[in-house]
Amino acid sequence: MSTMAGYYSPVYLTNGDQVTDSGDNLAALMQRSLGGDSQAYAMLLKETARLLRPFLLKRLYSSNEVDDVLQEILISVHKARHTYDGERPYKPWVYAIAKFRLQDHLRAHYADRLHDAEDLSELEEVLPDDAVEPGFDYESIRAEVARLPEKQATILQLMHHDGYTAREVAARTGMTESAVKVAAHRAYKVLRMRLER
Amino acid sequence: MANIDDLVADLAQQAGTVKPAPHPYRLSLQWIGAAAAYLALSLALSGVRPDLAEKLHNIWFAAEILSLLAVFIVTSLSAALLAFPDLYQKRHLAFAPILPFLLFLLVMALAWHADSPPAPLPIHSFECTAGITLMALLPAAWTFYSMRRYASTHYRLAGSVALLSAFSVGALWLRLHEANDSIVHVIEWHYLPMLVIGLLGLWLGKVLLKW
Repeated sequence: MSTMAGYYSPVYLTNGDQVTDSGDNLAALMQRSLGGDSQAYAMLLKETARLLRPFLLKRLYSSNEVDDVLQEILISVHKARHTYDGERPYKPWVYAIAKFRLQDHLRAHYADRLHDAEDLSELEEVLPDDAVEPGFDYESIRAEVARLPEKQATILQLMHHDGYTAREVAARTGMTESAVKVAAHRAYKVLRMRLER
Repeated sequence: MANIDDLVADLAQQAGTVKPAPHPYRLSLQWIGAAAAYLALSLALSGVRPDLAEKLHNIWFAAEILSLLAVFIVTSLSAALLAFPDLYQKRHLAFAPILPFLLFLLVMALAWHADSPPAPLPIHSFECTAGITLMALLPAAWTFYSMRRYASTHYRLAGSVALLSAFSVGALWLRLHEANDSIVHVIEWHYLPMLVIGLLGLWLGKVLLKW
């Protein structure tokens, strides 16, 4: 929290001017940055992050996601800074990049979810018929999941209870995406055998 | 948050003097100038249609050439604006090609109506589309190469508009080169393929202009 407080505290330029998130100041910072002033550039990027964080928090679920997208946006601002001339308002320029990167992120996110939907359909195929009847959900097989090896149980917990994609689970567990899918598939088989008894 | 601070420090270290991109008006003028020189050179090499002076006195032919020229100029301007993340904050101009396209459609509809009795169809067909496309390759390649240096946030649309702009150069060349009075042929083999080119541009923009 102390970091957050520091983040929101006023920022001062070397000449003593206070930087607020006013578009004019950000444009001035960008002009200095384009001239090679690294201090102004650092301030600009920090202020941009501060400006965009609430925008992203409203549109994304977790703060991890917000940080990831914010990093993407800052890198994009860096790559595209030559397309800003300092003469027109800064905020529309930076928000255009932010929306663009956010859409990219959401598109990739939903593509992953769709990919996982195929995994769930595989689950329906391998589980007995009554596995898809009302009342048979993740909650009702929690005890069986808990009896699985720890790694498999964790993967199922993350994928089907917490809603993570296979790729996200891979990132969290340090496994490859295909290893996560294989482990999940094995877990489904074990569950099927136990539930068929 | 620590990651953000580290990233900011990293990026700030890379801060150096950056030359801002040229104004989109200047950029589009460069493209238009180069394409006009290319068109003039092509016509000088291939020759203009023998009845060009006479045809330019025909109101519908002159209107067709002028509206096609307007399509070329406005799509070049729009492509330059679309190459910038915020469309250089001139959104109304970026989407301006709709107007010359509507004008062009109207002119072609009226020219078709005025083509009575219809002029005889030429014996060739798809060769015109192929010729226009080949002629458009160089302006298209140059425009895409140039646009890749910027940062389009509407890359599909930018690709489509850039390809339409290049195609209109090819279409102008053929209309000024080939002695052909059949509006039906011109619509079918010169201008309808523009729709396909526009769709192809959506894909090409995604492939080449994504950053």
